Amino acid sequence: MRRALLMLAALTAAAPAVAQEPTPGERLSVVKHVLSNGMTFLLLRRPTAPTVSFVTHFRAGGVDEWTGISGTAHLFEHMLFKGSRSVGTKNLMAEEALFPAIDAVADSFTAEFRKGALADSAQLERLRSRLKQLEDSARGFVVSNELDRILTENGAVGLNASTSNDVTNYYFSLPANRAQLWFVLESDRLRNPVLREFYSEREVVMEERRLRVETQPFGLLLEEYLAAAFRAHPYGRPVVGVASEIQAVSRGSALEYFHRYYGPNNAVVAIVGDINVDSMKAWATRYFSDIPPGEPHRPVVTQEPPQRGERRIDVEYDASPQLLIGYHVPSARHPDAPALQVLSQILTGGRTSRLFQRLVIRDRVATSIQTFQFPGSLYPRLFTFLGVPIAPHTTAEIEKAVYEELDRIQREPPTAEELQRVRNQTEASSVQRLQSNFGLAFQLSSSEALWYDWRQTFRDQAAQTRVTAADVQRVAKAYFTPTNRTVATLVRPAKPATGGND
Amino acid sequence: MRAPFTFGALLLTVVPGVAGAQQRPGDPRAEMQALQIAPLRFNPPQPKRVTLSNKVVAYLLEDHSLPLINVQLVSRVGVANLPDSLWGVGWQADALLRTGGTVRLTPDSVDKLVDFYALNIAFSTDQEQSNATLSGLSRYTDQLLSLGFEMMKTPRNDSSRVRITAAQQQENWRRRNDTPGSVLNRAWSQVLMGDHPLGRSLVTPTEIAGFTPDRFRWVQERLYCPQNFVIGVSGDFQERQIVATLERMFRGWTPCKPGLRDVPPVAFAEGPKVVLVEKDVNQTNIRMGHRGGVRIADNPDYFASQVADFLLGGSGFTSRLLSRVRSDSGFAYSAFSNWGADTKREDQFVAGAQIRAEKTVAGIGLMRSVIGSMAAEPVTAQDVKLAQDNEVNSFVFRFENPAQIVGQQLSYAVDGLPANWFDIYLRGIQAVTPPQVRQVAQRYLHPDKLVIVVVGKPSAFDKALTEIGRVTPLPVDSIKR
Repeated sequence: MRRALLMLAALTAAAPAVAQEPTPGERLSVVKHVLSNGMTFLLLRRPTAPTVSFVTHFRAGGVDEWTGISGTAHLFEHMLFKGSRSVGTKNLMAEEALFPAIDAVADSFTAEFRKGALADSAQLERLRSRLKQLEDSARGFVVSNELDRILTENGAVGLNASTSNDVTNYYFSLPANRAQLWFVLESDRLRNPVLREFYSEREVVMEERRLRVETQPFGLLLEEYLAAAFRAHPYGRPVVGVASEIQAVSRGSALEYFHRYYGPNNAVVAIVGDINVDSMKAWATRYFSDIPPGEPHRPVVTQEPPQRGERRIDVEYDASPQLLIGYHVPSARHPDAPALQVLSQILTGGRTSRLFQRLVIRDRVATSIQTFQFPGSLYPRLFTFLGVPIAPHTTAEIEKAVYEELDRIQREPPTAEELQRVRNQTEASSVQRLQSNFGLAFQLSSSEALWYDWRQTFRDQAAQTRVTAADVQRVAKAYFTPTNRTVATLVRPAKPATGGND
Repeated sequence: MRAPFTFGALLLTVVPGVAGAQQRPGDPRAEMQALQIAPLRFNPPQPKRVTLSNKVVAYLLEDHSLPLINVQLVSRVGVANLPDSLWGVGWQADALLRTGGTVRLTPDSVDKLVDFYALNIAFSTDQEQSNATLSGLSRYTDQLLSLGFEMMKTPRNDSSRVRITAAQQQENWRRRNDTPGSVLNRAWSQVLMGDHPLGRSLVTPTEIAGFTPDRFRWVQERLYCPQNFVIGVSGDFQERQIVATLERMFRGWTPCKPGLRDVPPVAFAEGPKVVLVEKDVNQTNIRMGHRGGVRIADNPDYFASQVADFLLGGSGFTSRLLSRVRSDSGFAYSAFSNWGADTKREDQFVAGAQIRAEKTVAGIGLMRSVIGSMAAEPVTAQDVKLAQDNEVNSFVFRFENPAQIVGQQLSYAVDGLPANWFDIYLRGIQAVTPPQVRQVAQRYLHPDKLVIVVVGKPSAFDKALTEIGRVTPLPVDSIKR
């Protein structure tokens, strides 16, 4: 106990020194193996338990979709779990013979659907049930979820995937003695995907949208907020897709998306665990090297024009209020990014941060206040505040506090103690992030896919420890202006349909 | 199924040939058939069990690969062991341990230390156990442990922080109907378990009104006290030092005080019963189930019930529920079952899904028939083998890191299971036969007696919900907690 008191005294006196040498992440002995077709493998042997984690990132995301097909990147991600020409079928020829008829009915449905309010709802219903009937016939030749089944019996864990604005990833882990199975299955589905059960999966994705967005007050608020903040750049579009567009995506456009963006030169695989690096290299070459490269990934040309004044929106939903405030800031690669990250820690990183102290502890105005930068890393994005008020306090009170604290940091630099706290937290996290094979594989693969350098993610963190008080003030002045701001508030409509309050 | 994937199949050591590396891959099925799976030789590290002088047991597992330490304390009692009038205080007693300061340190001083040294100090009071997790860089082990133990031994429960927790819980209460998931969880517990403490997850305004520093103290002294603990330490430490530190930490800690109760017996509602909570959403949240009937000690039914649950809805895409409701029908993104069992008592059997509003009644009918299929349709040897292969082949993932290995021993100790429980479990699963799976389904799963709770907008449903059975409306405001 006496020790605890001494510790407190030590806070300002003897702060731990900042490490200047490379971070533990940069020193990892990752072997980079690039095939002749450009496919990149990052191999890291960590022989603790006999497990191996595989994470693949493709440079293909929601932003790479073209007009009218929003949600296709994500729907295609679902389709890669449906198998291949070998896996998932009892009779490929019989199955594929039905595809043209199925696609034709789907096209007729879409043609009618395009009429919008003038569409014939009875006709839509007929086509929908015809589509279901035909796809059910094809399902007679399908081995349902066979890919999953093979992996399940082999003891795979964590089989999943996710689609973001910038990239799409696929992952699972295997017992170390079954690592070769990954090469067999992954090269097969990348070489020969069959988009079977496409139209019923489209319905599944609609339900995913309802689950995550349409029935969730926060999901809706977030979607509307992004749409308000981005007028030109695709970061304003929902990755899961606009509901009407999900209902009209065709198997053809999903395949086109695949052919454009899923070339092996746009894929980065990280393999971390109890591996023999030479075997991994040999298998990588054997299973993937004959897949022809595709077009190299080209960044989106659209740049969000500078904002010309504050934007404010209300989103009505039968729920208590929440607030999002966002400022346009540059991409994660910009020289100001580390200082913005430190600013975020000073404002909301932990219970001693400025905004948490004020809003949650001192004034009891909010249950929580957070900041995050999203909805991607590759392109300019939003430095976002999320606040949840405690009634009878309002979102306006949270707004006022956020603006005052942003003004204050422009006038009063962060203290040495604040900066040291952030450095200590960054240093601890630079070690903690190395704990799991899967977590590490994910970070390596993501960093290489986004920045063409697996070390970049670790360097970014190191850069944060070198941020000065002046850097923080400079970025606070540069970006946090009312003109550059979007504010979205969740409000209860005048007459709630159902649902209670006090 | 495919022989090469079976556990214990011909075990050749594979040296991936360099010659083979030059060959192009053949047909994937042939490739899979040809895979040679080397034996997995793995003896997971065993934590060392030591008994401190106050009889508290600690499991220690050193791992110096990263400069991190993780200390877990699990107490064998939880909120459901408190007198009923203190349930709400107990549910938030963890928040006050973390935020309320200590007799010696103000809440702000504690927060400063935690943030400055990037310590992770977290408490959680659960229904039948209470936990503390202390972790951080190992060079701050002394700071971490002295602060973490001080917070448990001498909590201040500063009245300013009690007021914050009260205000936050009041806001939680206000927001309780904001998402369909929250409405369903609470409605389900009320319908199936009444107001039994094990079904509670939200503090009521009456309980919040009773938040005082003294009452938090009363609860903390009983949930966090030496004799109730089992401890686990993993990471970068030296055994001798950590044992000495733990001995020092426990010195002078007041022994556990009386006043706790055994958890009262649970009475599960009997079905058939259909309950509707109206909410204006375009997707219907559904849960159905009944008493689980099985305790962990009920061998071999327990192991057969685990396999049945895996096949019915516990294993994702390979399960019948997700396969039928999602993949074949496109009704839902998620559908699952969970057949719980406990060492102390039977638990619940539940199945759930979020289904497109216009397929609500069709979806419920489908789910009910899939549950029925476990008894009505054959469970094949291949089905059972899939579940067994999965358990056997994935066992290494239960021993991936030291914190996980130690945590497993703690949970066995708290649940009253033997230290080698995992071996017993694995053998039990491997011994299950298809007829046993069908028998447990016949004995314990009753698709005709399900309690079904539906949260959604009836005017958007495909048919009247009465097609399922007599419907009892439950207005959202009469969900009591």
